[in-house]
Amino acid sequence: MSEWIAIGALGLVAVGIPLGMMAVSAILRPAVPEQGKGATYESGEIPTGTARVQFNIQYYMVALLFVVFDVETVLIFPWTVIYRSALSQGVALSTVLWPMLAFVGILVVGLVWAWRNGAVEWVKSPLANRQKTERNA
Amino acid sequence: MTPDALALQTETVAAWTALAPAILLGLTGLALLGVDTLWPDDPSNAVLAGVAAAGSILSFAVTGWFLVAGTGQASTGGAIALYGDALVVDGMSLFFTLIFTVVTAMVVVAAYDYLDDHSHRAEFYSLTLFAATGMAVMATANSLATVFISLELASLPSYALVAFLKTDRGSVEAGLKYFLIGAVSSAVLAFGISLVYAVTGSLVLGDVAAAIGTPEMAGVLGLGVLMILGGFAFKTASVPFHFWAPEAYEGAPAPISAFLSSASKAAGFAVAFRVFVQAFPLEAVPAGVDWVIAFQVLAVVTMTLGNFAAATQENVKRMLAYSSIGHAGYALIGLAALTAGGPNGDVLGASMAHLLVYGFMNTGAFLFIALVEHWGVGRTFEDYNGLASTAPIAAVAMTVFMFSLAGLPPFGGFLSKYVLFYSAIEAGFWWLAAVGAVNSALSLFYYSRVVKAMWIETPVADFEIESRPVGLYTAVLFAGVGTLLLLPGFGPVIETAQTVAATLF
Amino acid sequence: MVGIFDFTPAIVLLPFVSFLIALAVGDHLPKGGALAGITATAGSLALAIGTVLAVAGGRTYDATLYTWAEGLEAVNLTFGVLIDPLSALMLLIVTLVAFLVHVFSLGYMNDEDETGLPRYYAGLGLFTASMLGFVVADNLLMAFMFFELVGLCSYLLIGFHFREPGPPSAAKKAFLVTRFGDYFFLVGVVAVFGTFGTAAFVGSESFPALAEAALRGETSVNTFGFAPQTWFTIVGLLVLGGVIGKSAQYPLHTWLPDAMEGPTPVSALIHAATMVAAGVYLVARMYGFYAISPTALAIIAFVGGFTALFAATMGLVKREIKQVLAYSTISQYGYMMLALGGGGYVAATFHLMTHAFFKALLFLGAGSVIIAMHHNEDMWDMGGLRSKMPVTYYTFLSGSLALAGIFPFAGFWSKDEVLYETLLHGLDGDPILLAAYAMGLLAVFFTGLYTFRMVFLTFHGDPRSGTAEDPHGVRWNVKFPLVVLGVLAAVAGFVNMVPVKKVTGLKIDFLHKWLEHGYAGLTVEHYGELLHDFPHYGSAGLELSPLGPGAVSLGLALAGAVVAHRLYNVPEPVEHTDRLGEIKTVLYNNYYQDEYQVWIANGLTRSIARAANKFDGGVVDGVVNGVSSVSLFSGSRIRRIQTGVVSNYAVLLTLGLTALILAFGLAGGWFV
Repeated sequence: MSEWIAIGALGLVAVGIPLGMMAVSAILRPAVPEQGKGATYESGEIPTGTARVQFNIQYYMVALLFVVFDVETVLIFPWTVIYRSALSQGVALSTVLWPMLAFVGILVVGLVWAWRNGAVEWVKSPLANRQKTERNA
Repeated sequence: MTPDALALQTETVAAWTALAPAILLGLTGLALLGVDTLWPDDPSNAVLAGVAAAGSILSFAVTGWFLVAGTGQASTGGAIALYGDALVVDGMSLFFTLIFTVVTAMVVVAAYDYLDDHSHRAEFYSLTLFAATGMAVMATANSLATVFISLELASLPSYALVAFLKTDRGSVEAGLKYFLIGAVSSAVLAFGISLVYAVTGSLVLGDVAAAIGTPEMAGVLGLGVLMILGGFAFKTASVPFHFWAPEAYEGAPAPISAFLSSASKAAGFAVAFRVFVQAFPLEAVPAGVDWVIAFQVLAVVTMTLGNFAAATQENVKRMLAYSSIGHAGYALIGLAALTAGGPNGDVLGASMAHLLVYGFMNTGAFLFIALVEHWGVGRTFEDYNGLASTAPIAAVAMTVFMFSLAGLPPFGGFLSKYVLFYSAIEAGFWWLAAVGAVNSALSLFYYSRVVKAMWIETPVADFEIESRPVGLYTAVLFAGVGTLLLLPGFGPVIETAQTVAATLF
Repeated sequence: MVGIFDFTPAIVLLPFVSFLIALAVGDHLPKGGALAGITATAGSLALAIGTVLAVAGGRTYDATLYTWAEGLEAVNLTFGVLIDPLSALMLLIVTLVAFLVHVFSLGYMNDEDETGLPRYYAGLGLFTASMLGFVVADNLLMAFMFFELVGLCSYLLIGFHFREPGPPSAAKKAFLVTRFGDYFFLVGVVAVFGTFGTAAFVGSESFPALAEAALRGETSVNTFGFAPQTWFTIVGLLVLGGVIGKSAQYPLHTWLPDAMEGPTPVSALIHAATMVAAGVYLVARMYGFYAISPTALAIIAFVGGFTALFAATMGLVKREIKQVLAYSTISQYGYMMLALGGGGYVAATFHLMTHAFFKALLFLGAGSVIIAMHHNEDMWDMGGLRSKMPVTYYTFLSGSLALAGIFPFAGFWSKDEVLYETLLHGLDGDPILLAAYAMGLLAVFFTGLYTFRMVFLTFHGDPRSGTAEDPHGVRWNVKFPLVVLGVLAAVAGFVNMVPVKKVTGLKIDFLHKWLEHGYAGLTVEHYGELLHDFPHYGSAGLELSPLGPGAVSLGLALAGAVVAHRLYNVPEPVEHTDRLGEIKTVLYNNYYQDEYQVWIANGLTRSIARAANKFDGGVVDGVVNGVSSVSLFSGSRIRRIQTGVVSNYAVLLTLGLTALILAFGLAGGWFV
């Protein structure tokens, strides 16, 4: 008996269940075609336009920065948990502290660079620009 | 100070300093960001290129010093393992770092002119340096986890660099494709690593090797090994993971094409050599997981497909892209001609030496393309007609690159190919050498087309070449001189390569 | 002590210096560098004569001059010089012919006001230097490198008139076809290194000696899993690939007739003494390696015999005088190969020597005729030139008699010995040799026929065109080489009159004696032993009088000459070959050899290349629509790709990996 048979069986079941459910419901349900049923559901609103719209690049900028600091947190968290016990067990301060300082330092360089290059500046839309110039005028 | 004295000195300092080449590259990348932070609007191109070049040359010098002083080699007590065996500095890692750093130096010097009228230069240089950092770490990676991380560190900046010409649709498209194929390949690699971990219970290469003797899991192990192989095949642009290469090389800025096809490829080989030799040694792998045969298939298919496709191209850059795939096939011989108990150090060393020579001649060839793009001459063979009459020095250098790539004496490529094929024969794989030789012969056809176009044909249209860009010329000539000097200097190179390769077995 | 052998490198270097001079300052020299070339080749000739005299005194020389790569896993790559009777003889032939060709070029090129003379003389100089370097090479790799240089120079010289349509394509063809053979040679060189660790020709550590020792079980070499005999045959045949290309043997002979596009002195140099001779010389040089392999010998003999006959039939129908000579060259080199394969080492060397003289003579004579005819080569426009250019006529006749093998001209003696040796060894019970002999014998008749067809059409009968009635005169610089070679063509055969020796008992086989001394592993006796021990030539102990076979071949040659006389020695000859009908078309088109090779090159290689491109281009372009490749940067393509063709990459990549995994999984038994 090969372990691959089990894997194959798992695959079969995995494909079979959704196919079976769709097949069963197709057999059981009454077929009443109606236009409203085929429409895209968008929280009860009437759908407008396609889903392929351009998002402002700033969304991604913010999302990227968020991800960076999210990952940073994930790394810092376990570090803080072991920090005190590691020191108390005689590990040198430099061994424990410096790697995290270097890590944070690299992130800071990146953040400052991104800041200076306008990553956290909200986009200047033509409308906003015009209002700004009008206000200054 | 004698080398011995130097070696003694390095023993007294902390072990992590053995990573100095990679650290220097990373710090240079950060410094470039710092420059851009200080003058975000208009950082001086000269300052940026200078910092990048200084950093990579410094790193090159340190690597060379380590290599000569014997850091991580048998003379000073063997490989230096760091961070719980996650990284290891030995002769092979230093040898490959030498390739990366010198290619990086050439590329950033050439980029000085290439980027003359582009914005976002700081990003370009720093991404290049970060990618080089990733490659240097790849060469030292001794655990499958660091392998994956470093490979990503080298890849992610590369994706952005390929798409650097934001207004050029070809560049953007190539970058996107490269990224998508890279994502698939990374997934394959990660899956393979997980399967190997499942079988052996470790990610450190040495521990993996110790644990793969369990035959009941041979199937899963084999699956994992082949998937890891696939991940590396992506990095080295080997069939069937080569699809990205022609377009990425063609669409990317030419210095980046040089960088990817020389350094990035060598990095893929560095990590493939170490992982396969250290984690899956031929003496220990269970029957049925015979990865050497897989590499033989890949080597033959890759070199044949690359060369045949190159022969039919009309575009010089694309021809070089395919020829680069062909050269990946030659370098794969380093893994394909291994045998349990055979002259493995010689085979692997020959492949490493070929990659070093290739680093010079291929980088030079792509930088020549960069020079031609800088002049605004076209991309096809016809556009190169009569180039030698207006730019004789660069044309001589390109001729050297072409003939050296084809493996003609008296250039470096001749000896490295010769030794590579010879070592394959020595290991008993005369047919691999024969396929390689036939492919080299074919390659002469398309390489000589470039030479012929430059020297013999008369120009189709008049072109005006006003500028003699200093940086590009320096880089191209440096690569040309390197290619030439590697013929007399090949003795120490091959000796070093084969010695450091032999310690892996 | 400084001896004559210390000047051996100078033999090679002198023409090379003339190459440099012609290249650098040829424009400023009178005669476009010709005088430098003549001086250099005259110097080489003098040194070669000195060398031959020294060798005649029983001295030989072998020295490594320069080691250009060492420590490569115990293989050292060197340049060295090997002077023994064979190479000394060849040096003499090459320098003599090269010298005469340089002199002749004064008449053919300078007096005709050709342009680009420095380029021409530079090419000649480099060509001569490479050939001489090849001759004195003491190892296979050096021989290969000079072999390639010879090929390169022939490319440069054949394509001398590069502005006309024909010569560049002929040059390219010569280069590519010989190059095709050279690939096998290169692989053979690598195989020799891989097997023996050396490529030296001479000494106890040379590769022929090692091969012999291995077969006798005295030592062992790495034969890559084959039986030693099989492996040595394979290696020998690989090297033979280069020989077949350079010596224009079937099926790689097609370049030679086209090479006639080059200037005529170049044709004389290429086809008499240098490039084409290089192949045969190489086999003779490493004969100890071939003599231990019966299969290789049989193949050499059969290819030689077949080529001799095959080329002779094609020579029958050609219109241009140089074309006839081209096919006769192919045919004559076939004889040399036949001799080598049939165990006639001396016979082959002998024929190589006599052929060098009479073929150089014929080409130079043809050149003289071509000057006279204002560069019209069509024999049907000639006729009646005998009375107008007597020197050319009589020397040409001497060469033709030698070529046809008419007693007592040089060709008779050498060709007779070739056929005799082959017959003798064939009668031992080797049917392949007998078949090769039969073809060679039949070719004698055709040789007589086409040779005298050429002579009669050119010089006899009535003039058939205006130029033939009033030909252009030639000067001393054309006549002098013709006379020298004409005399040699008549008398060179006397150095080795084996039939006379057998009948009278006089010791007059000087060439046999000449080749008997020298290095122990490179003598005729040693080759005789090898031929006796391995292919068992002559082991039956047959005795055969040379008179019978000699009479038969002489009779056939005379028959051919007589037929030619009847058909063409008339005032108004007609194209009798028309009566052959379809056969003539086939012959005229050279048995469609070019067509099928072009088909192979075009149809096969290109389609493979195209298939590879298609595979990749198809992927790039979208497997879905399978449209052929256009530029990556065309707008519509980009849109198409952005809608997901990159997913095709991913699909193919995954499929490729899956195929790999499946293949290895099934082979490795993972799924059980």
